[in-house]
Amino acid sequence: MHIDWWTLGLQALNVGVLLWIFSRFLFRPVADIVRKRQEAADAVLAQAEASRTAALAHEAEVQVNADRLSAERGRVMADAEAQARATAEAILSDANRDAARIRADAEVATVALKEAEMTRLATQASRLSLEITRKLLARLPYELLVSGFIDGLSEAVAHLPEETRAGMGNPDQPLILTAARPLTDAERQTCQDVLERILGRSVTLTTETDPSLLAGLELEAPHALVRNSFRADLERIEARLIHHD
Amino acid sequence: MISSPLSTDVLFHIGPIPVSDPVVVTWGIMAVMTLGLWLATRRLTIKAGPVQAVLEMIVEVIDGQIRESMQVDPAPYRTLIGTLFLFIFIANWSSLIPGVEPPTAHIETDAALAALVGGATLYFGIRVRGLGGYLKTFAEPSWVMIPLNIIEQITRTFSLIVRLFGNVMSGVFVIGIVLSLAGLLVPIPLMALDLLTGAVQAYIFAILATVFLGSAVSGEEGGKPEPQPPQKED
Repeated sequence: MHIDWWTLGLQALNVGVLLWIFSRFLFRPVADIVRKRQEAADAVLAQAEASRTAALAHEAEVQVNADRLSAERGRVMADAEAQARATAEAILSDANRDAARIRADAEVATVALKEAEMTRLATQASRLSLEITRKLLARLPYELLVSGFIDGLSEAVAHLPEETRAGMGNPDQPLILTAARPLTDAERQTCQDVLERILGRSVTLTTETDPSLLAGLELEAPHALVRNSFRADLERIEARLIHHD
Repeated sequence: MISSPLSTDVLFHIGPIPVSDPVVVTWGIMAVMTLGLWLATRRLTIKAGPVQAVLEMIVEVIDGQIRESMQVDPAPYRTLIGTLFLFIFIANWSSLIPGVEPPTAHIETDAALAALVGGATLYFGIRVRGLGGYLKTFAEPSWVMIPLNIIEQITRTFSLIVRLFGNVMSGVFVIGIVLSLAGLLVPIPLMALDLLTGAVQAYIFAILATVFLGSAVSGEEGGKPEPQPPQKED
């Protein structure tokens, strides 16, 4: 066995070249690409970590916002509830007040209505009584419509205060005697006599006719009015009916 | 009839230089590897295709072996160890091509490879530890060991040469003999065994080179037993 030194030298050279070939075409490019991939993966991981951090921060922010919104919602709800309660109370109070007012108004209206109705009824009653009286009076003797009231008239004049009586019947202030129908001369004379007797002096008397008296006499002086007629009586009764019922 | 595996046939001359069979086969391997690797690695991307994935896996496995054996960053040693493994592997398996004899079946190729390992051990040892530091490792654990350490340096280089040469040459030899006796089908199991031997020897050579480099740069030479992968006795 012998060693071919030329072959040994060439193979040593070849091994050196092989080192370069493998380094140039295999190990260096593959190691480079592995390193680049590693760097890319690191970058992606860093980015993912950054994104995760950002997401966590965002989540925390969202949580804070949610808490704030929740608190605000609670506050708004409480405010709204309080406001609603106050409004409800105000409405209820208004309603109660309105109801009370309406009830009072209704009561007043009822009373007024009742009074109006009473007045109407009383008016009707008085008209009815007037009508009845008129019809009844139509059946009485004609003279009675005057003569039956002369005594009453004299008595009423006699009850007048002295100072009132003193001014009655002066010539410049004639007494006005109103009757339900035209007085006859005799009746007129009788009335004048009676008045002169009671007043103690002569009087000037003017006569007038007013059928609405129904029956009786009314004496009108400047400071006095003596009403002695059915109309006056009926008016008194009517007033009493209306105001005392 | 095959020639003796121990002889080296000169195919032609370039000037005064005789170019022998293993040199030409090695050139062929170099050409094929250059072309193949250039095609495979000219468009590497972040998203690896199948070919790129296989290449990356090979590099990762080599890196892993270096890291495991030397406990250091594999980058400076990747080219050396990877080249040794891949070249020996391809050279051993080149016997599959009819008429091609593996260059590693010739002692000159193995000697060149072992010399490379020896030189690399020296280079990395001095680069990492400095000249003085590297020389001091010969006096460990005591100066008495200096002659033994020097002898060990030489013998282990020779053991690399002889181990690879013996295994590959014997495989070629056996196949040649069997082929001359019974040409059809009979050598196939032996050829398969030869492939297995070739792969194992490539691995052993590379891992031993790693261990030698590791011992040179870590300073534990002599204290660490040399791992001996199971060897085949062909």
